[in-house]
Amino acid sequence: MAKIDEQDILKRIQDPQSKRKAFEEIVNVYSRQLYWKIHYVVQNHDDTDDVLQNTFIKAWRGLDNFKGDSAIFTWLYRIAYNESITFLKQKKQMSSIDDEDFVEQASFVADEYFDGDNTQQLLMQAVSTLPAKQRQVFCMKYFEDKKYEEISDLVGTSVGALKASYHIAVEKITTFIKSKE
Amino acid sequence: MSTKNNRILAPEGGRYPFKVSDEYFDNLTARIMEQIDSVEQEVPAKVEEAPAQSAKLFSIHKNRRRNLWFSTISIAASLVLIVTVALKFIPTPSSTPVEQQKAETTVQYTPDNYNEDLMNYTMVDNVDVYYYLASEGDFEE
Repeated sequence: MAKIDEQDILKRIQDPQSKRKAFEEIVNVYSRQLYWKIHYVVQNHDDTDDVLQNTFIKAWRGLDNFKGDSAIFTWLYRIAYNESITFLKQKKQMSSIDDEDFVEQASFVADEYFDGDNTQQLLMQAVSTLPAKQRQVFCMKYFEDKKYEEISDLVGTSVGALKASYHIAVEKITTFIKSKE
Repeated sequence: MSTKNNRILAPEGGRYPFKVSDEYFDNLTARIMEQIDSVEQEVPAKVEEAPAQSAKLFSIHKNRRRNLWFSTISIAASLVLIVTVALKFIPTPSSTPVEQQKAETTVQYTPDNYNEDLMNYTMVDNVDVYYYLASEGDFEE
């Protein structure tokens, strides 16, 4: 992943002449990481693509208010997470399903972007039953092997709460898999 | 945990079982910047539309306010006219309050003329009155 000089980017963002170019660099550097973070929540390529575009449009509109209080990726991640949750709520309203974290489990079978065997499909079905935030924490810890401190900086939750959340997620997944055996 | 669970939830973590082509990411930045440019073009157009809309709203409010004034003035003028006409037709009391009270008493307790007028007006005669009083039990034959 390409590195970005945040101080330099911040300066260029404030200059109307260089603002667009600086933002293009941000999109180029962070879009791949953000894509997967959004995918953890919405678990579908087309939806992830929509949410990712909305995230960058929101970020562009709010760019003048970003003063560098947090890292650029943290700022983008929080916009992306909120957009993902908004998307899930809209999807829930459209499908009139009560559970806002509902993800159609059978969709993994037909998903051309799914690249796993039956066991991984079962795991993803179990992951899809978790609430959105817990799903994020589980995926970052389990699939990315991120440290709790890193996740804490990103999601703004204490390390203790994250450990508890991950532990509960593992228990839920275990119970789900047992029920399918 | 069963063997299957141990295999699924490996302690070292696992691979996220989804893939996206590199081509998608190659074109992504360009697509997003295009989207942003089109959004930027939409915003000034909306800003230009805004004054026309507010002028229309202002015009609607102005007309409503003017209509309200006309209605209020019309109602007030009508009331003044009605009161003026009514005052002309109501006889002014010429007697003292004591005489006025006596006159009222006279009107109230002089049955002949008053009752006749009333019976003509209501189209009843003495027989009807008699039967009515009899049926109410106030009058015995």
